[in-house]
Amino acid sequence: MTWWHALIDAGAVPAAYTPPPSGGRTRDDVEAGERADLVEGNELQTHPIPPNSQPLIPNPVSFLNGLQRWSVVAYDGVAQIVNAYVAAAVCRRDDRGVLHATFERSRAFAVAPLDRLSPTLRAVLQQAVPDIEPVDGELVGQPARYLEQVESTVRRARAHVERELAEAATAALGPDEWLVLDGLLSRSPAVARHPRALGVIKSHGAQFLDGRGLERALTLPAGYRTSVFAVRGGHTRTEVYSWYLRLWPWAGNDLQYGLLRVEARADRETITRAPALSRWLLAERAPLATPATRWDRLLYPLHHVEEYLKARAPRSPAARSRLPVA
Amino acid sequence: MIDKAIPVPIGRVVATELKPSTPHQFHFWTPTDTSIGIGAIVKVGGSGTGEEGRVVYGVVTEGFAYSDLATPLHDVVGAEGDPARVEPPTARQQIRYWTAAVLRQTPEEPLQPVPLGQVYVAEDADVAQALRMDTYLYSATPTAIPVGLYTSAGRDAPVYLDADFLLGPEAAHLNLSGVSGLATKTSAVEFLLASIFAHFPAHKGRVAAVCFNVKGPDLCFLDQPADLSDEDRRRYERLGVPSTPFQRVQLYAPLKADGVNLNTLRTHPDLVDDVEPLTWGLQEVVDYAEVLLNRDDIDAKADAFIDFLRDRVLGRTFDDGFGTTHRVQTFADLDRLFRSIFDGLEVISGGRSDTWRTHHIATMRKVRNRLLNISTRCKGLVTDDGPSSDLPWQKFQDRTVYVIDIANVDPLGQDLVFARVVSKLREQLERRELGVDAVVVFVDELNKYAPGDGPDTYVKKMLLDISERGRYLGLVLFGAEQFRSQVHRRVVGNAGTQIFGRMDMDELATPGYQVLTPATKSKLATLPIGELMVRHPHFTQPIFIRFPKPPVLRGRDGVERFPPAADVPFDDAVVRQLVRLDRRVRPNQVKDLIADREQDDVRRALATVRRTRPDDVLAYFRKVLGVRVDVEASRPREHQAVPPLNPISDEPY
Repeated sequence: MTWWHALIDAGAVPAAYTPPPSGGRTRDDVEAGERADLVEGNELQTHPIPPNSQPLIPNPVSFLNGLQRWSVVAYDGVAQIVNAYVAAAVCRRDDRGVLHATFERSRAFAVAPLDRLSPTLRAVLQQAVPDIEPVDGELVGQPARYLEQVESTVRRARAHVERELAEAATAALGPDEWLVLDGLLSRSPAVARHPRALGVIKSHGAQFLDGRGLERALTLPAGYRTSVFAVRGGHTRTEVYSWYLRLWPWAGNDLQYGLLRVEARADRETITRAPALSRWLLAERAPLATPATRWDRLLYPLHHVEEYLKARAPRSPAARSRLPVA
Repeated sequence: MIDKAIPVPIGRVVATELKPSTPHQFHFWTPTDTSIGIGAIVKVGGSGTGEEGRVVYGVVTEGFAYSDLATPLHDVVGAEGDPARVEPPTARQQIRYWTAAVLRQTPEEPLQPVPLGQVYVAEDADVAQALRMDTYLYSATPTAIPVGLYTSAGRDAPVYLDADFLLGPEAAHLNLSGVSGLATKTSAVEFLLASIFAHFPAHKGRVAAVCFNVKGPDLCFLDQPADLSDEDRRRYERLGVPSTPFQRVQLYAPLKADGVNLNTLRTHPDLVDDVEPLTWGLQEVVDYAEVLLNRDDIDAKADAFIDFLRDRVLGRTFDDGFGTTHRVQTFADLDRLFRSIFDGLEVISGGRSDTWRTHHIATMRKVRNRLLNISTRCKGLVTDDGPSSDLPWQKFQDRTVYVIDIANVDPLGQDLVFARVVSKLREQLERRELGVDAVVVFVDELNKYAPGDGPDTYVKKMLLDISERGRYLGLVLFGAEQFRSQVHRRVVGNAGTQIFGRMDMDELATPGYQVLTPATKSKLATLPIGELMVRHPHFTQPIFIRFPKPPVLRGRDGVERFPPAADVPFDDAVVRQLVRLDRRVRPNQVKDLIADREQDDVRRALATVRRTRPDDVLAYFRKVLGVRVDVEASRPREHQAVPPLNPISDEPY
């Protein structure tokens, strides 16, 4: 019997609400308005990646990605009690191109407004669940905003797991081994300063450029990169060097189609390496990360790690309603 | 180092709503670099499924591989339309997904769907369990006959047939199918006979084999050793079968038209002495006169006349009613009788009567033509007159192969040999006087002798009879053919054990193979030499096995190593046959003795010597040959061979 069944037995109302997939968090949660300082040249330029040059693909190379899942499993009045699961994994690519999981970390926990629960249900919850992430009960009366708070809590938990795993993975990297993370490199200072770690950002909610530079970045042709610029990202405000890279032609789609932002250590060597690193990432376009919806900017190995985590994750705990979903 | 005592799983059972496990089938996946393939035997343990103790054995019948590619177009896009583009740095996630048919579940009751669990490669003991061989392999009176090695995943395990189901009485007969040259049907039978001779259980008595050599030198060198590789010897050792040729082989071949040279490819001077002539006279032929009659000939009147000849005429003193007394023992005697009858009807009755002893003249002419034709068409096998030389009826020996080489005999003669030999075997087995308790009869080219369509010949009826009744008698048919679908379905249907070598795809498309999966068919169509698929009553699914090269010289190799000798002149052939019987015989003495003698007289004397096998061969030969008679003074022979009355005729018979 699961812990929410114990709650239900104790009088909680069963629930079955899972947020739609689009309710996931954005990855590059950088404060808006962050300014970028150009570190390559005097003006942000576009640079073609030589199409015929042989990419220097590191071997071995590891890829890190994470997963989060949550669902409302019970109600105590209007207080929503959430079952959450976050996980992250690192897969190393061998010389045959096959990915093998090397690191993995997960956390299953409950999210609940403890101060708004009835004493009986709170006692049952605290007895049944070893890991509870309490949330402020002020928003309990506003279910939609409360769920945003839950989403944020789960996202932080996931980021924490990913950060811990990234630090462990970078510490264990071999002398020539690289680590590619899905998301911000700057989340962890240790990782951000590692000479062979790359962050690959697919969502571009925060803009670091403006004016002509921004226009050049957003209209990059396929197979081009921008000049390297420095950003301070993440909660740790660790400086990293970054540049945009277009994997696929955007015409006919949208400005962000096939557009990646790459983060690497804030070091002169990164500027030197940027063409080769871009060529490498360009080579990672194949195989396509289909059927993922954002396959145009999702590298296949990162997609693989995500699929691995999905396969390993416990099944959705919520008892499905027998009624059709509107 | 891997501890072999701890089995390592190679896959896991998966079941989905669309592809669930059933009591007879399950699905599992393996790593992409797995060593198993179609035909592999696997074991599913119940560990971790809440069904500990339940073990399921299965054989892989289908395999699938696919990746997470949603549509082929995505691969085109990924490669930007260029198939020569450098390989992507990451290999797509892919799966090896297998379907297995359940061979056995333990416990057998209650019969349930296959549990989710880990999949292991089957070890020796597992193979025995899976194929239910344990019941006859480990019993107090084992009846296991090795048929080959199951090989998969670097392992090999002996596979056994149950003698009770291969050689009777529970089931019997074996049928082999496969394309010529690649299916190794003859080799498989040679190996299996060696295995039967080595493992036929003592409590089941004595066993022998009769093999009809119907093409080339296929079975002519069963007593000569083959060149075996070390791997073949290892396989023989693993199967417990001696890698030596048959210790006791008796080869029979008819004579050529000259009556002294053997009609076989085993005529090399070093080997020809081991070949016994096979010659039959009227008595042997007339008992199987039905063989000589085609469907149009078969009627009650012809049957009645043949019965009349058999019961009232042959071997008896008989008055033809026209004033002549006959004693019909040879074809020549029979022809004299017919001529006497026809002359009598023509001359004495003035042509007014067309019946004799209630038999119509047309019926008699038909029977005469058919009977006397055989001595022309099969000269050498059928002697116009004189004694016969036959198989050692009632003296068959244990673990002996009797090869009858009829490769170069007229098809009619082949039918006759087959019908008579099998009939005699059946007759003597019924009376338990053959000398052995079971006989394996190997007949190749069943497409020819027992076709699914075409007329009901005597040979086909005989094969049907063996197929349906032979197991009670110990008369076991090992038949081989290229196209199983074209053999009479009761002949193949009664074969308890069926073996398939490499098959033709067209053949595999026929309805008889619908039970096989496309993968199994594909494997059958590409089977390498030495691999077979076996169906046996104890096996719930077909099993692929590998058998070693036979321990005997292949026909083609035998002909190369022992090239056939050219036919020798009549007197030399006579000398050779006599010397073979008695080494003391001097050639010149024989040549002097037969100089200026009628060849038929010499042949007759020679046949008598062969049959009698006296201590002093030359003296006996001299005696039966008789005193020298002046050729001019001797009675002119009526004919050398009996021609048909009207060989070129539109007469329907």
